[in-house]
Amino acid sequence: MSRESLLTTSVGSLPKPDYLVRARAARARGGITQHDLDELARQATREWIALQEQIGIDVLVDGEQYRGDMVAYFAENLDGMAISGLVRSYGNRYYKKPIAVGPIRRPQPITVAWWEFAQSLTERPVKGMLTGPYTICDWSFDDHFGSRREMVMALAEVVRQEAADLEAAGARYIQIDEPAVSTRLDELELAVEAMGIVTSGLRAHTTTHMCYGRFEEVYPRLLDIPVDEIDLEMTNSGLDLLERFREHPFTKDIGFGVIDVHSHRIPPVEEVKGHIYRALEYLAPEQVYIDPDCGLKTRTVEEARRMLETVQQARDEVRAELASGKVPSPV
Amino acid sequence: MIATAVSHYPKLGDGPGEQALRLAIGRVDRGEAGPEEIERAAEAMTAAAIKEQEAAGLDLVTDGQIRWQDPITYAATRLQGLEIGGLLRWFESNTYFRQPRPSPGIELAWTGPILREDLEFARRHATRPVKAVLTGPYTIGTLSDPSHLGHRRFVLELARALNQELRSLAEARPEWIQVDEPAIVNNPSVRYERDFSLFRDAMAVLTEGVDAPLSLYTYHGDVADVPKLLELPFRLFGFDFVQGPANWDLLREWPQEKGLGLGIVDARNVRLEEIGSLVEQVGRAVALTGEGLIHVSPSCGLEFLPRETARRKLELVARATHAQGVTV
Ligand SMILES: [Zn+2]
Repeated sequence: MSRESLLTTSVGSLPKPDYLVRARAARARGGITQHDLDELARQATREWIALQEQIGIDVLVDGEQYRGDMVAYFAENLDGMAISGLVRSYGNRYYKKPIAVGPIRRPQPITVAWWEFAQSLTERPVKGMLTGPYTICDWSFDDHFGSRREMVMALAEVVRQEAADLEAAGARYIQIDEPAVSTRLDELELAVEAMGIVTSGLRAHTTTHMCYGRFEEVYPRLLDIPVDEIDLEMTNSGLDLLERFREHPFTKDIGFGVIDVHSHRIPPVEEVKGHIYRALEYLAPEQVYIDPDCGLKTRTVEEARRMLETVQQARDEVRAELASGKVPSPV
Repeated sequence: MIATAVSHYPKLGDGPGEQALRLAIGRVDRGEAGPEEIERAAEAMTAAAIKEQEAAGLDLVTDGQIRWQDPITYAATRLQGLEIGGLLRWFESNTYFRQPRPSPGIELAWTGPILREDLEFARRHATRPVKAVLTGPYTIGTLSDPSHLGHRRFVLELARALNQELRSLAEARPEWIQVDEPAIVNNPSVRYERDFSLFRDAMAVLTEGVDAPLSLYTYHGDVADVPKLLELPFRLFGFDFVQGPANWDLLREWPQEKGLGLGIVDARNVRLEEIGSLVEQVGRAVALTGEGLIHVSPSCGLEFLPRETARRKLELVARATHAQGVTV
């Protein structure tokens, strides 16, 4: 953990600009070629990398401009996975849920070329972004394995291959998201074992993002997940987990979400600084990455930009206050 | 022996015309059409859901709960004294519901029929018997934020309000009134303490004076550890034998006078069951419970599946039911 304190980053997804949303719809109707769509996704990636640099974010993401759903994207690129008809998630929102239909293999790298493209645009590190094997299994149907454990382990092997290729391509940060872990706490050990397969042998800084959970109930077992950093939706969960850190210190790096992304509200900088100071009551500054709670893809481009700016400004002011010794008394 | 569905049915499919409701909601959201367009589409999709259940070979159908956003809010928004809050995950699934809470200063009350019109609409469009299905007070109350009322008082007030709904439904003389109480099951995502005595009290309040055949369905887990479950005032008990294999234990000392809902076709996964295995399970249930009333069904509602798979699952239910050569 010998690095700068309070690095800023974001969880992964960023909103797609209108021209890309329209192009994806056109592509679905067969109106444009995949090549043309990819070119527009590259344009959007350039814009997001430039914007993150301009804001001053330390560890960048490509914003997943070329992906639809975080599970379906991987399923579409794996042998042995197919895509189902539509199922409803809530309200008028439907999605095509993946199905395991045979032995799972990765015919070729999935995200590496996109990561290389994004990294070529900046000197700052860009995170490699993967969906974890437990979440891919949990958010898919199974018409092949008949056992969740077997399916998770088969997926762990292909995600491991992808992580290794990202590292070989030069990725210094690799994030393997497991948002589904919080819904089946009885299977935490399975998720831990699968993550062990994915991260074994990696020298890159590894992170997993989780959300929608009452993590205080699995803390400190959560620390068993074999990654360097766990990124948590701290603000939406009311910072409830912090008290548990007094009893059981958080032994890994933490991605500390400081803005609730499920709301359109852009909080004042002072409020976000308050969250950072709360974090520093329990955690060392070198241990903490500051980011919004979760992926920003459901926000507008403008909301996402303002949220990232707020995160950055809050971090800069806290850093300056810490350096000058003018730390405000706890709020 | 009877083949039936449990509760909901997909609101949309990949086939022609099967997107009517989704498109109508989209148009109304964009201000391109009035709410009557949603109403017309909901009626068409309800009629289609009934037709497909009948075509699959079911003997007893539901209206598919096509108008329901989720299992909680349809009734909750039609009772007085509840506010609807944020989205929460429905058990360990990838679907959500909005969480109700009691409005401060407004008494929780039933102010008029909730499902009566839906039941009558379904009956007009069905050629087979229709059951009325509603989510029970223990589940609504447990998945809500009870706020100032506290869990027990809130659940019992809901039970009192929904008792009036059951009485109103009973006047329409439905074949069955089914109460769904999944919140009482053993499920890995469940983090609340299950309160068996409150559950019993709520079921007593809910069913008091209701003159209709009542069934109690649970799913997403087992209820094998719920004390004196089969003594509750229901004529039939439906269980999920896919996510709750421990439910087989409940069949060991089965009271002759009670009917059994046998949820053996997995409504959470697309894999199609071997008919032989289903027939074997039906046979095992008959052997354990005697020649009583059995309703064979999917393990829970079908909205977790794509429509085409939902149809095939119901065909499996019907084949497994009628393969027995036993008519009850
Ligand atoms: Zn998240």
